[in-house]
Amino acid sequence: MEHLLQHVEQWKGDLEKWVRQLPPEQLYTALVVLLLTVTFLLLGRLFKGTKSNTIVLAGLSGSGKTVLFYQLRDGSPHQGTVTSMEPNEDWFILHSESEKKNKIKPVRVVDVPGHPRLRPKLDEFLPQAAGIVFVVDALDFLPNCRAVAEYLYDILTKTNVVNKKIPVLILCNKTDKVTAHSKEFIRKQLEKEIDKLRTSRTAVSTADVTNEVTLGIAGEAFAFVQCHNKVSVAEASGIKGEITQLEQFIREHVKP
Amino acid sequence: MLEELLIFTRGGLILWTCKELGNALKGSPIDTLIRSCLLEERSADASYDYEAPSAGAAYTLKWTFHNELNLVFVAVYQRILRLLYVDDLLAAVKREFAAIYDPRSVARAEEMRKLKQVTARGSGNTTIKKQGQLAGHKVSQRSSSDSGSGKDDADGNLVKANGMVNESRAPGGMVKTDESSDGGAFDVNKLQKLRSKGVKKTNTVVGKVPKAEPKKATKKNRVWDDSPSESQLDFTDPGDQREEGEGEVVAAVQGESMMDKEEELSSDSDDEVDEVRENTQPSSKKGWFTSVLQSISGNTVLEKSDLKPALKALKDRLMTKNVAEEIAEKLCESVAASLEGKSSDHSLESHLLFIRYPCNIIWLFLQTAMEEALLRILTPKRSIDILRDVHVAKDQGKPYVIVFVGVNGVGKSTNLAKVAYWLQQHELKVMMAACDTFRSGAVEQLRTHARRLQVSLITLEEFPKCADIREGYEKDPAIVAKEAIQEAARNHSDVVLVDTAGRMQDNEPLMRALSKLINLNQPDLVLFVGEALVGNDAVDQLTKFDQKLADLSMTPNARLIDGILLTKFDTIDDKVGAALSMVYISGSPVMFVGCGQSYADLKKLNVKSIVKTLLK
Repeated sequence: MEHLLQHVEQWKGDLEKWVRQLPPEQLYTALVVLLLTVTFLLLGRLFKGTKSNTIVLAGLSGSGKTVLFYQLRDGSPHQGTVTSMEPNEDWFILHSESEKKNKIKPVRVVDVPGHPRLRPKLDEFLPQAAGIVFVVDALDFLPNCRAVAEYLYDILTKTNVVNKKIPVLILCNKTDKVTAHSKEFIRKQLEKEIDKLRTSRTAVSTADVTNEVTLGIAGEAFAFVQCHNKVSVAEASGIKGEITQLEQFIREHVKP
Repeated sequence: MLEELLIFTRGGLILWTCKELGNALKGSPIDTLIRSCLLEERSADASYDYEAPSAGAAYTLKWTFHNELNLVFVAVYQRILRLLYVDDLLAAVKREFAAIYDPRSVARAEEMRKLKQVTARGSGNTTIKKQGQLAGHKVSQRSSSDSGSGKDDADGNLVKANGMVNESRAPGGMVKTDESSDGGAFDVNKLQKLRSKGVKKTNTVVGKVPKAEPKKATKKNRVWDDSPSESQLDFTDPGDQREEGEGEVVAAVQGESMMDKEEELSSDSDDEVDEVRENTQPSSKKGWFTSVLQSISGNTVLEKSDLKPALKALKDRLMTKNVAEEIAEKLCESVAASLEGKSSDHSLESHLLFIRYPCNIIWLFLQTAMEEALLRILTPKRSIDILRDVHVAKDQGKPYVIVFVGVNGVGKSTNLAKVAYWLQQHELKVMMAACDTFRSGAVEQLRTHARRLQVSLITLEEFPKCADIREGYEKDPAIVAKEAIQEAARNHSDVVLVDTAGRMQDNEPLMRALSKLINLNQPDLVLFVGEALVGNDAVDQLTKFDQKLADLSMTPNARLIDGILLTKFDTIDDKVGAALSMVYISGSPVMFVGCGQSYADLKKLNVKSIVKTLLK
């Protein structure tokens, strides 16, 4: 033991002598370089963290989000889906782009369950979202019109969405069926419902923290073009795999 | 006879299904199971009964979880049968599947084969007519169809070999499996022979399956053949018997009433955890930090025995907060069911929490799981925005009718006045109906409130104006309510608040009268008024009320309790468990909370603060 201690003492002495030997400028520059690299690493991490390349799929339960998720990832919804209990998230290259030879950055897609009890999960992913895809069931639209409009209204008035101007794509799913409504019809209906919601909600809230934002222009009928963040409408069919408009949206907002 | 055996992930993707071709499940039992049972934290129940609304088929569902891989295994069979082997079958399937499942695995063929063996062995006693659907690989878009005739023979052999009496596959079924053709390497004949022999052959089948070229920087899951199964099973069908989720928790209106004031939350710990979540990369990228932590904390798998002491402590803690004993028990079991088998080094989050609270890791897991579960239960599954509903009814030209029910002395009349006050502040025309014809002074009490709030009141004495008096007939509160609603429609009132007499849940004639009132008038909202001081009786009250309302109604679609009004909230300090018991047992959300005895003392339930208080 004592031998060891002696050796350690010796090495310490040697080290000190060597350090003292070095000119002070070298020491200082070395230290500064070290500090700089550490700061840059941390900053880099921070930036990577806040740079958002996440696409969030949201919508009512049963609108087809999980099917779309697997279409994007694997090109087919495998054997079908059931009501999701947890969000699906993954980093991947879009299936249709997987044939391209050049290296494409993977996209992170999150499929948030639509069940009302699981709505708070959406708030976990919104801060990192580069774009939101709101999936609407074009087939079963009218009975659920109010619920769809309420959910959409809540998303459009979240502070995150408004401040970061996150673009929203309203995707009308299940358009392969004959009785599915067209996207224009759905857009008009949603605008009408949100207009009504706007009046009934803002008429009462003066100090409401969550819904600080009034959508659109007061006094005029609400239209999606009035939103500060870009809101667009598109059609798709998850089961059949017709998701070109959705992929376009993704490529637009997540740089490949 | 098993109708269906299904394996799916918690995220919703169906991994494997063993369907009886031609015997599609009627209705959507799996979706209903998820919505009404698993998401309601009743996953510790033994089984779930489902009745298809139109087709009249009744099923029983049993399930089990594999928490490590986030899988759910469900078996469906006819309700009239009593199958004893289902639990064992599920356990066996779970074991086998867990052994061969890998989210990125290539050898799906092997999984299918093994699973079919297990199923065949497990249900060999029963007469399963047809084999399940074969899912093969679609390797690189080239698909050489398998010899259909070959399959026929093989199936025929197998059927005979297993000693099953039933006929071989119908030609329709054959066409279906033809579609699910494999990449030419998956030899179905071999599969059948292997099945009949019950011998595992790992080399030939697996070796012939070529892998897809792994792309750079992606993990590509295997693409399976897509056999459109819409005609048979439509799992994404939103058709549901129960009233479905309409919107979510929304901050209600503002004004003088405390309903409208936002509660200041102590947001310290919430923010920290949120920040942690924001800054973490997706958990698939594990850094050096995580690996270091893993090596420190070890890699324990949570067993039931590990969880037991912590569970008991958690249950006791919940019970000290006035949660009913039954509910605490069920909740703890449900949370344990979702944690069993999980390995404790699961995510970066838990590690960061571990640093903050360096204590028993099991307790930590349980705490977080319970917190999530409580948040889930207390989050309403339908909109509690009454003002919106009132506006909708107004647009349609009818008054919005709210009925207040509950046992004696919980504060129905007082809180009715509070609700009337709140509605008045939002420029809505309110009318009250005094259907409490039993208690002395009830009508006078309401009359005083009506005078102070300047709303109109309909009581028994109003009858001469509205309808013929019939001897002994006017005492019926149902008729008073009906008259009140008609009067409201006539003078364009927006809301009608109906006060009823308090009654014990066991009192049969009174419950019958209540049921008659509700069914005759079909109110828009049936509010159960419960006091926060109630203990274990809350469970009994709510179940009996719901049950009686369902049993004693004439119509098939009985109106049940739609919402809860929690009263006397200011008298309990942190013993807020009654809210949880009531919400859990009835599934309906808490719409209002009465927190005082003056008009403005009405507020919304703050879910996060309740959960924090419960787990403190």
